[in-house]
Amino acid sequence: MMTSDPVIEFLKQSLPCRDSQIDQLYNLIPHKDHLTPPCIYVYGGASTGKTTLVTSMLQQLEIKHAIVNLVECYTSKILFESILNKLSDHKLDPTNPVPYARCDNLIDFISHLQAIEGLDRSVIVLDKAEELRNMEVNLLPGILRIRELTNLKITMILISDIVFEKYYSKSTNIEPLKVYFPQYNKDDLLEILTLDFDYVRKLAEETSVDFDVEFYKNYLNLFLSVFYRACRDLCELRHMSRSNFMKYIQPVVQKQCSVTDSMSLWRNISPILKNSLEVLYLRVDVTSEQMKSAAHSLELPYYAKYLLVAAYLASYNSAKDDKKLFVRNAGRKSRSVRDVKTKSKVSEQLNTQLGPKPFTFDRLLAIFYAILEEKVGFNNNLLAQVSSLVELRLLSTIGDGTSLDGQKYKCNVSFDFVHSIAKTIGFNIRKYLSDFSHL
Amino acid sequence: MQRLYKTFLIINILNGSGKDKIYKLVEGGKSLQAFKKMENKLLHILKCLKQNLLENKECHGYDKEEQQIFDLLERTLDCGESNSALLIGPRRCGKTLLVNKVLERIQHKDNFDTDCILVKLNGLIHTDDRLALKSTTSQMQLDNVVDGKVFGTFAENLAFLLECLRTGDKSKSRSVIFILDEFDLFCCHHNQTLLYNLFDVSQSAQAPICILGITCRLDVIELLEKRVKSRFSHRQIFLLPHENQTSNVHTVGDAVNKIEYYLKLPEGNKKLQINTAVAKQWNRNLNNLLKEKKFRNVIQRLIDLDNSEAMLKDFLVKVIFHFTGENLTVDLFQKELNILEEDDMIKVLQDLTVLELCLIISMKHHLEIYDNNPMNFEMIYNRFMKFANANAGIQNFQRAVMLKAFEHIQGLELISMLSNTGSKVQKEYQFFKLLVTPEQILDAVKKSSGLPTEVAQWARSSLT
Ligand SMILES: Nc1ncnc2c1ncn2[C@@H]1O[C@H](COP(=O)(O)OP(=O)(O)OP(=O)(O)O)[C@@H](O)[C@H]1O
Ligand SMILES: [Mg+2]
Repeated sequence: MMTSDPVIEFLKQSLPCRDSQIDQLYNLIPHKDHLTPPCIYVYGGASTGKTTLVTSMLQQLEIKHAIVNLVECYTSKILFESILNKLSDHKLDPTNPVPYARCDNLIDFISHLQAIEGLDRSVIVLDKAEELRNMEVNLLPGILRIRELTNLKITMILISDIVFEKYYSKSTNIEPLKVYFPQYNKDDLLEILTLDFDYVRKLAEETSVDFDVEFYKNYLNLFLSVFYRACRDLCELRHMSRSNFMKYIQPVVQKQCSVTDSMSLWRNISPILKNSLEVLYLRVDVTSEQMKSAAHSLELPYYAKYLLVAAYLASYNSAKDDKKLFVRNAGRKSRSVRDVKTKSKVSEQLNTQLGPKPFTFDRLLAIFYAILEEKVGFNNNLLAQVSSLVELRLLSTIGDGTSLDGQKYKCNVSFDFVHSIAKTIGFNIRKYLSDFSHL
Repeated sequence: MQRLYKTFLIINILNGSGKDKIYKLVEGGKSLQAFKKMENKLLHILKCLKQNLLENKECHGYDKEEQQIFDLLERTLDCGESNSALLIGPRRCGKTLLVNKVLERIQHKDNFDTDCILVKLNGLIHTDDRLALKSTTSQMQLDNVVDGKVFGTFAENLAFLLECLRTGDKSKSRSVIFILDEFDLFCCHHNQTLLYNLFDVSQSAQAPICILGITCRLDVIELLEKRVKSRFSHRQIFLLPHENQTSNVHTVGDAVNKIEYYLKLPEGNKKLQINTAVAKQWNRNLNNLLKEKKFRNVIQRLIDLDNSEAMLKDFLVKVIFHFTGENLTVDLFQKELNILEEDDMIKVLQDLTVLELCLIISMKHHLEIYDNNPMNFEMIYNRFMKFANANAGIQNFQRAVMLKAFEHIQGLELISMLSNTGSKVQKEYQFFKLLVTPEQILDAVKKSSGLPTEVAQWARSSLT
């Protein structure tokens, strides 16, 4: 329905690029005295405005509703009780939170719903609805059929990131009316992020750098050219674009260039953006301490480092290659991979891609001695170091653990990690890994 | 309409709040009023159609079955006969609807209120026998009587309830009709106690009861334990789609008749706030539409997908709830059909970032090369790196960023973890299987705009 409802105009202005979804939802949601479909499925990627739009439309149209996020409901009891609290306008006393009604199961929920006055045309919104699948088996079908079960003209709105076919099960094949929220494209993102202009102006107030919207748009264009291929999540992009903007204008602040010198600004920001791309979703500052790799910050004892490297080799080389790799011949050091591997077999899957294989303590020691230049005797210290590696979760144990013989180990660290550990002891680990054709 | 609306919008934007005053001043005021009138008229029409579709309790077809069930219940009501039966039919074929219709009829009989009690249970909510019994008690309005009593067994409790129904002279008892919807779920209850006791009562002459189970499982009898099965009457009523079942839409003609039934406006009904002329105009337009050849083609395609009444009704509900404009048109139905045929998965794939789509393409290649063997992040990562290294145009990403992308793909359930790789394994090495087909991937690649050409080519190439 085309509409002259001012609420819709308002929503379209506050949520750009969602016109079609606003119209679709407006047609479904109970306005005036219309009947609504029993169930609406709102779905689409992260930060596409699903929850915001549904919430603000219900508020603006003054429709009685309850919104519950399933992530917060680890039992169905909590789910039921919070819906009832909201629909009955029950105010929780923070010092002694007693729910509107105790509600252990679907049947109690239904009878309490039926007892609340004036629920016709009200709406229950379940956010992160995919969680329903992990709760009691009767919950999802019950929710989808709530109208049949309660005889109330209630509407269920399910909000989710995934497609509805993931909900199919034996117990239901009800198809709700669906509203899809597609991910924003580059132009949309530019338009939406530009709304941040006032915010960043305030942010830059102290610096007394003066700039206009065009300047900010230019920055966003640069920003998106780096980030768009890896991320379309608006929230994440907003966080990233805001936190990098001050660095973008840094040269202007320091009077090294003017706001019109886009070339210098680009040269300055480009490496910074590339760096922050690496911490996408991690919410850490690139320049902060956290960024230094764990391998550097972890100070392992000297022999522990060798043990860890040996463990990595034991996990990713097959035992039958050990001899060829580590056997010591007089006059010449251990032979390198190139001698062992005659031809790289394409079809054969690489060991490093399959994850660590378990190895015995004996094999670990053998490799340890082979890669260690000096001679040390076997002592308790070595044993203690192995167990502290296990405690640090750098190694893990498999097997019963009652006898030393039965015990097997696995190395848990990544190649990058062990590579930097190996560097600190001047050991070239690549030479001793049987598959390095891929690096 | 569209034009009117635009004029209106311009006025609206020009003057946010005090618009009503301005309307009367500017010339556009006239068209705005026309728009509002139109909007109003349409709202009334839509309201009526929504009502007709969503609140429609009419059940089409199943005349024979309806009579069969009616007779069964009637015999319990009038003659105090005990009975049991199962109504079996595929999902959404109208079982619940049919039973409700029969119940409505039987409840209209004069002696129903005095001689009979209806107990409706549903396997979805009465998930164990205790809940079922509690609900039965309250539907029999015996809460007060039972209050405080302690029963040894389920059977004793049930017997007590039935005993309460006996009237003064002890010879005649009120009969009870039990409707067990989602009957198969009751079979999962511990020891099938409820079913055993109900069927047992129906076999012995304790009290006149009729048990009607409703289920979508054809094999439901197999679910009954032996002692339960032997007490069941084995009366089964099937609601299966067949040639002369009018609940199914067999030809375009059938479909058109049903569409007319659901979308026609009643003429001359004062309560609806639709005047007769408007209704007549609407119906004339509808009739013309139904005759159009193009329209009939669309409907043919629709019933080729699924020919059940439920599907047709759902389809019309969607048409009405997506309706924008003045009149029903072929385009409207065509658009709705397109949506129905659309693959949601492809939309999700199109919403991925270039990086994520690249990982999906890597997976597709991996599965081709390794003959659908499971994959892990490490393998996919390496396959992507090979591609990225060979193509200068492709940005290189950090491993951590790629792992995030991989996890995002997992979150969207485009891949799923194989259960046998326990949680002990590091996530890079956990095995996954791909849940989208190569065809879906290629389709999404084709439809994605702004994808680098190298990536599109890579997706199409086989065995890299
Ligand atoms: N013969 C029919 N005439 C009219 N409407 C029908 C008919 N069959 C199905 N429908 C419609 O299809 C929808 C599903 O019907 P209903 O819930 O009765 O099916 P059901 O067989 O009980 O399904 P389930 O096995 O899922 O419980 C309802 O909207 C109903 O109006
Ligand atoms: Mg049913």
